This record gives sequence, C-alpha cells and structure tokens, in this order.
Amino acid sequence: MILIDKMCYRSGLRYMNAEVKFAYTVVTLLICIVSRSLIAAGIVLLANGILTVKRGGIPFALYVKYMLIPLAFLLMSTLALIVNISREPLDAYAILIGSWYLTSSKVSLWFALRQIGSGFASVSCLYFLALNTTMTDILGTLKKIHCPQLLLELMLLIYRFIFVLMDTASAIMTAQRVRLGYEKLRTSLHSFGEMAAALFIRAWKRSNALYDALESRGYDGELRVLEESRAADRKEIAAVIVFEISLIFVIWLAKRIGIE
Amino acid sequence: MSKKEKSVLRAVVAFAVLFAFAPVANAMHIMEGYLPVSFCIAWGVVCLPFLAAGMISMKKKLKENQRIITLIAMSGAFVFVISSLKIPSVTGSCSHMTGTGLGAILLGPASVSVLGLIVLLFQAILLAHGGLTTLGANTFSMAVAGPFVTFGIYKLCEKCKVNKKLSVFLAACLGDLFTYCVTSLQLSLAYPSEVGGVAASAVKFLGVFAPTQLPLAVIEGILTVIIVIALETYAQPELKAVGFLKEAK
Repeated sequence: MILIDKMCYRSGLRYMNAEVKFAYTVVTLLICIVSRSLIAAGIVLLANGILTVKRGGIPFALYVKYMLIPLAFLLMSTLALIVNISREPLDAYAILIGSWYLTSSKVSLWFALRQIGSGFASVSCLYFLALNTTMTDILGTLKKIHCPQLLLELMLLIYRFIFVLMDTASAIMTAQRVRLGYEKLRTSLHSFGEMAAALFIRAWKRSNALYDALESRGYDGELRVLEESRAADRKEIAAVIVFEISLIFVIWLAKRIGIE
Repeated sequence: MSKKEKSVLRAVVAFAVLFAFAPVANAMHIMEGYLPVSFCIAWGVVCLPFLAAGMISMKKKLKENQRIITLIAMSGAFVFVISSLKIPSVTGSCSHMTGTGLGAILLGPASVSVLGLIVLLFQAILLAHGGLTTLGANTFSMAVAGPFVTFGIYKLCEKCKVNKKLSVFLAACLGDLFTYCVTSLQLSLAYPSEVGGVAASAVKFLGVFAPTQLPLAVIEGILTVIIVIALETYAQPELKAVGFLKEAK
C-alpha cells in the first residue's frame, strides 16, 4: 500500500497543528527556491531531517530512500544543464569531439550545483509535510484557505477510493503473478491491460453502490466530516517564525560576505 | 588510454551506476523545487482557464445528474492507481503510466484537467512524484496539454475513420510524447542554455529524457489499446454511459 500515508499516521508530529506545518513547508520551500543558496539548502535539509526522523520518528533508511526518488530526474536534467555542444570551448571543461566541443562554463556548473542543493532541500520540505501530516488534515487546511468546495469534495472521495482500488488492483495482480502473468514483456503488458480494465469495471460498480449508500443517508453534494482541530501552539508558531527569519538572515549574511 | 580518457570513462561509469540505483524513472514529473518561482506561478496561471472550464463543465453535469460525482471521483482514483503501479518496461527499470490519456479518451479532456490536478497533488504528497511548487507546470504538461492532444487526435482519427485500435494507440502515444515535449520546453524556458539559448536547451532536455520517455510513450499507447479493447469486451453498458456523459456536456 502507500507507505507515505501509513507513516504520517504514526508520525510523532501528526498532532501538531496542520496549518502551522503547512505554512512552515510553503515558506521554507519559497525561501529555498528564491534564494537557491547552498547554505540555506544545507540548513533546511538538516532541519527537515531532524524534524522528520527525530521528532516524527520516520526510519532513517526509509527517509534516505525517499530522498533518492527524484534522483533520476535530477541527474538527467543536471546533465542537460552542464553539457553544451559548441564550436568554442568554455572555461570549466571542454572535450573535443570532431570539430565540436562538449563543454560548459564554471558559472553553469556552479548553477547546477545550487540547483541540486536547493532541489534536495525543497524535496525535504515536501516530505516534511507528506510524512507528518495526514491527508485529511491537508484537506482541512485547504478548506480554510478557501479551496473550491467541489474540488475538496472530489479530493476527499478520490482519497477514499484510492485505497479501495489499490487493494483490488494488488489482489488482481497477485492472482496474475501466480499464474505467471508477468513473466515476459508481452504477457505483462497484456496482464496489466486486463487488470486495468477489470479495475475500471469494478470501480464503476463500486461508485454506483457508493452513491446509493450516500443518497440513502441524505447526501446532498457535501460530505461533512468532523474535524479534529488542534489549536496552534504559540511556541510552535514562534519557533517557525524564528527559523524562517534566521534562515533569511543567514542567506543575507552569506551574500554579504560573498559566499553562496 | 590516456589519463583524460580514463577520467572520462570513470565519470561515465559512475554516472551509469548512479542510474542503476535511481529507483524510479518517473513519468516526467518536474521535481519539487526545480523551477524558479516566477515560472511556477506563470504555469499555474496558464492552467487556470482550463481548470475553470473543467470545473464549470463538471458542475453543469452534476446539476443534471448528481449521481455522476462518485463516478468522476472513481475515475480520478482509477487514474491515480494506474499511474502509481509499476509497469513493465523495456529497459528493466520500472516506470509508470500517466493514465491521463486513457482518462481523456474515456471522459473528455475538460474533466481530466481537474482530475489531473488532484491526481498530481496526491502523487506529490503520497508518492513523492512531482511537487507542490511545480504543481502548476506539471498540471499544464500532464493534465492539460497531453490530454487535449490525446483527445484531439482521437477525435480526428474517428472523423477520418481510422481503425479504432490504431487511433487509440496514436492518441495515447502522441499525447504522452507531447507531454514529454512540453515538459522539456518548460525546463528549457526556465533554464536556457549558455550556448544557443532556449532552443539548444530544449534539444538538450529532449535528448536526455528521450531514452526513458520514448519507450514509455509506446508502452503507454499499447497499454491504453489493451485496456480499451478489454473494456469494449467486458464493459459495453458502462462505456455507453460514459459516452452519454460526453453527450451530456
């Protein structure tokens, strides 16, 4: 099943006020991508690592594994950033191939490094939110910032259905695997397609049944669920504000004395 | 081997090893924090009219028939689940379908844009594919541009009376390719190359992602065809009702 979802329910920070977590994530993210500062990235990585692993209680190995998920994207796009094909060599390195150079400038190498650093820091922000906040809390926060009602309604329903469908899909796939359905590329394509079709039909039937059930309980287009609202702790708010301000200060200071 | 060649070889090997460990070849989600803020906002704004259109058309359908809401939500969950499952891939690494092409063929592109937004948000939070700041850009490439092309090609093929399997294949495959082109363009607009500007940068991004994305597009096409065939065999009444959904727009 979805491991991130499981982890956030047993996170030590689960009962922290969701809006504070949301605000912390968004502001830190913005600081990371606006500044692209390596120092800030380091601080943010460390802070989120401590928060998620120490306070949240997410296993360190798992955290590292998750941090590496965007690696493929990062490697490929960094490759595109730091390799140029040109007739003139640039200052960082140049490899002559025929009459062209594979080359790059120091500026863009430096830039790519900052991209990688701030990229990882941003990903750690995302994980702070994902691994410590339950989806229902996130939806509650979205409601408070006036996300359209229809969208929220759909999100709530989709979130519920995801697990139902995943269960069904994994049961079907297990049955197929037992019958060697995923042995070769050809058979696996076939099996996967058949599974998806069966899944669609079951989803359809379930959605009908669900609507009947909802309607018989007086559904009028809005699912009202009780929210556990936990008042924001003043200390937590203060800590977040102090953290963000000192982060900005450190970036400013680093720029001032000329280190990036 | 000269010293330089050796070091180049070493770099290449290191790179390949890293690749082998990179766990998932994502379906072209731009990762969290990779785009500058201005671009994040700009792409979000570009998506807005499509999302608004999708919401309006959805609300209209719901007014006619409130029942559809569970169906729309179920389709959203379906797209999410399909896109979260590992699919067989030629290169041996696992990859994921986008699923939005299938959604566009079955439900029409307007609803898919809204569903796509939700699915992408869930993918970011639950699966760590994509991100919050890059949500706008990803929504545009995967939930707006791709599905619209898919739907357009599908309709065009229908008009030209092309064989159905072929038209589904073309629609899903080209839609996927278009998504990949749009993503590359988004990246290159944000990060123009020092030599040759945006165009050169676009070529580079297209180039580095091609080895994973080209086979993926073909696989996505094949899978969509298999799914559509299977649906036609087993789910005639449901498909008709979806067709009714389209007419009711």
